[in-house]
Amino acid sequence: MTSLAVVSAGLGEPSSSHLLADRLAAGVGALLPVDVRTAHLRDVARDIADNLVTGFPSARLKAVVDDVVGADGLIVVTPTFNASYSGLFKSFFDVLEPESLVGKPVLIGATGGTERHSLVLDYALRPLFAYMKAAVVPTGVYAASVDWGSPQGLADRVDRAAAELAAAMEGKPATKPVERFVPFEQLLKGRS
Amino acid sequence: MQFGVFTVGDVTPDPTTGRTPTEAERIKAMVAIALKAEEVGLDVFATGEHHNPPFVPSSPTTMLGYIAARTERLILSTATTLITTNDPVKIAEDFAMLQHLADGRVDLIMGRGNTGPVYPWFGKDIRDGIDLAIENYHLLHRLWREDVVDWEGKHRTPLQSFTSTPRPLDDVPPFVWHGSIRSPEIAEQAAYYGDGFFANNIFWPKEHFIRLINLYRERFEHYGHGKANQAIVGLGGQVFMRRNSQDAVREFRPYFDNAPVYGHGPSLEEFTSQTPLTVGSPQEVIDRTLTFREHFGDYQRQLFLMDHAGLPLKTVLEQLDLLGEIVPVLRREFATGRPAEVPDAPTHQSLLATRAGVR
Repeated sequence: MTSLAVVSAGLGEPSSSHLLADRLAAGVGALLPVDVRTAHLRDVARDIADNLVTGFPSARLKAVVDDVVGADGLIVVTPTFNASYSGLFKSFFDVLEPESLVGKPVLIGATGGTERHSLVLDYALRPLFAYMKAAVVPTGVYAASVDWGSPQGLADRVDRAAAELAAAMEGKPATKPVERFVPFEQLLKGRS
Repeated sequence: MQFGVFTVGDVTPDPTTGRTPTEAERIKAMVAIALKAEEVGLDVFATGEHHNPPFVPSSPTTMLGYIAARTERLILSTATTLITTNDPVKIAEDFAMLQHLADGRVDLIMGRGNTGPVYPWFGKDIRDGIDLAIENYHLLHRLWREDVVDWEGKHRTPLQSFTSTPRPLDDVPPFVWHGSIRSPEIAEQAAYYGDGFFANNIFWPKEHFIRLINLYRERFEHYGHGKANQAIVGLGGQVFMRRNSQDAVREFRPYFDNAPVYGHGPSLEEFTSQTPLTVGSPQEVIDRTLTFREHFGDYQRQLFLMDHAGLPLKTVLEQLDLLGEIVPVLRREFATGRPAEVPDAPTHQSLLATRAGVR
C-alpha cells in the first residue's frame, strides 16, 4: 500500500499542530488508500538532540527517520516560533542524511496564534524543503487559533492541499535513496 | 591477532579537577603510553595526526621515531595519517625514514580528516576529500614501489624523474590500512590495492561498520587478493575497566559526560548499549570485545582508545595494566575456531618472507 508519513512538531497536549496534521492525513486518506505513520517529534526530542551531538540516531529515532525517508508522501506541520519553524522541527530535518527527501512529495503545514504569521509557510518551510529537493505541493496550510472556530476556510484549504499531495503521490513512484557505489577504476580514471 | 592502543592526542581538561595538561605534558604522556603498551605486552601503538588545537600530534614521525628508539617490539602506526592534506611525497619520505630507524616496525592507517579549515590551511578543499585520498595514495603507492617516478595529477606539482629517498627498508613498503567512518569509496580503495581496512568503531553503532567491512571483504575478493574472509580488517574500540564494574562506571562517568566528541548528549548507559564503548570489569570487556568477531568476521587488529576526554596519565597507565592482563585471554579466545586460512596482519617480516617465497 502507498505509505504516508506525518511529522508534527507540536509540543502541547492537545496540540493544534497534531490536530492539523491529522486533518491533512485524513484528507489524503479519503482520496487514496494509505498506510499512515505519524511521528510526534516531542516523543523523540532528546533523541534528536543526542543525534546532533553523536552523529547517529538512536534506535527509536531511526525508526521515525526510516518511516519518513521510506514514505511515498510526507506531511509536515510545525508551530510558528519567532517567525519561523520551531527549533525541534528544524533539528529533525537537520539529522536526516543528505538527499533523503529528494523528489519526495511533501505537504507543508504550520500553526500559530494569529494569521499574521501565515507567510511562515512560504518564507521558512518552503525554502527548507526546496533546499532538500523535495517536491512541495503548491498549497500549504496554515491554521491560526481563530480557524478552529470558523465555519469554512480551513476545511477548504485542507481538502485542496490533501488533493494535491494525493495526486503527487499517485503520480510518481517513491524515490528511495540508493547506496552510492563507484568502482575503483572509475575513481582512479585519468591518473597514471 | 594484534592488539594495541590508538590515541587522538587531545589536550582536554580533567573534568574532575578542572586541570588542563600542558602540551609538553600531553606529548610526554603519549610517549609514556606507548612505552607502557610495549611493557604490558601489546603489539601496536598508533598516534593521530591533527593540525589544530586542542590536539598536539602534528608531527607523527617525530614522535614515532623517538618511541622507536625506546622500544624493541612495538609496531608504530598512525590513526590516521592525513592522505588528503599531506604531500604524498613527504609521507613517502618520512615513513620510509621511520621504517629504517625502527627496523621495519612501521605501518600506517590512512584517513581523510574531517576538520573543514585544515584543508584550506594546507591549500586544499574538503570537497575534494575523496579525490585527494584516491590521487595522493595512488602516487604514494608508486613512490614506494618504483625507483623513478614520472607523475602528473590534479592536486600537486608534476614530477619528472623523481626518486623518493630513502627507498623502503628491504624494498618492502610499509603496510597500509585505510580508515573510514562512512565512505564506501575508501573501502573500495583498500580492496583494490589489497591493503587493510580499519573501522574506527568507537563512536557509531556497529551496523554502520558491518556494511562497510562487508563491502571491503567482497571487493577484496573481487580484485583477486584472496577470499573475503582473508581480507585484512582492523577495528577500534573504547573501554574503561576497574576490577569492580560499578567502580568503573562511577569513575568514568564524569569523563564520559564531558567528553569532547559525545559528551552532553546520550547517557553513558545509552551510549554503551548503542556503540562498542564498554565500561566495566575486565571480564565484561573480554566478553564485549569477543562479540566483535561475530559481527565483523575473524579480523587482524584490535586497537583501543584509552586516553581521551581528560583522563589523567596515572589512570591511563592503570588501564593499560588491566589491558595487559586481558589481552592474553583475548588472544587465546580469538584463536579458538579461527580458520587456518585467515591470515595475520602483515608485518615487515611477513611481507619480506612472502616476497622471498614468491621469488
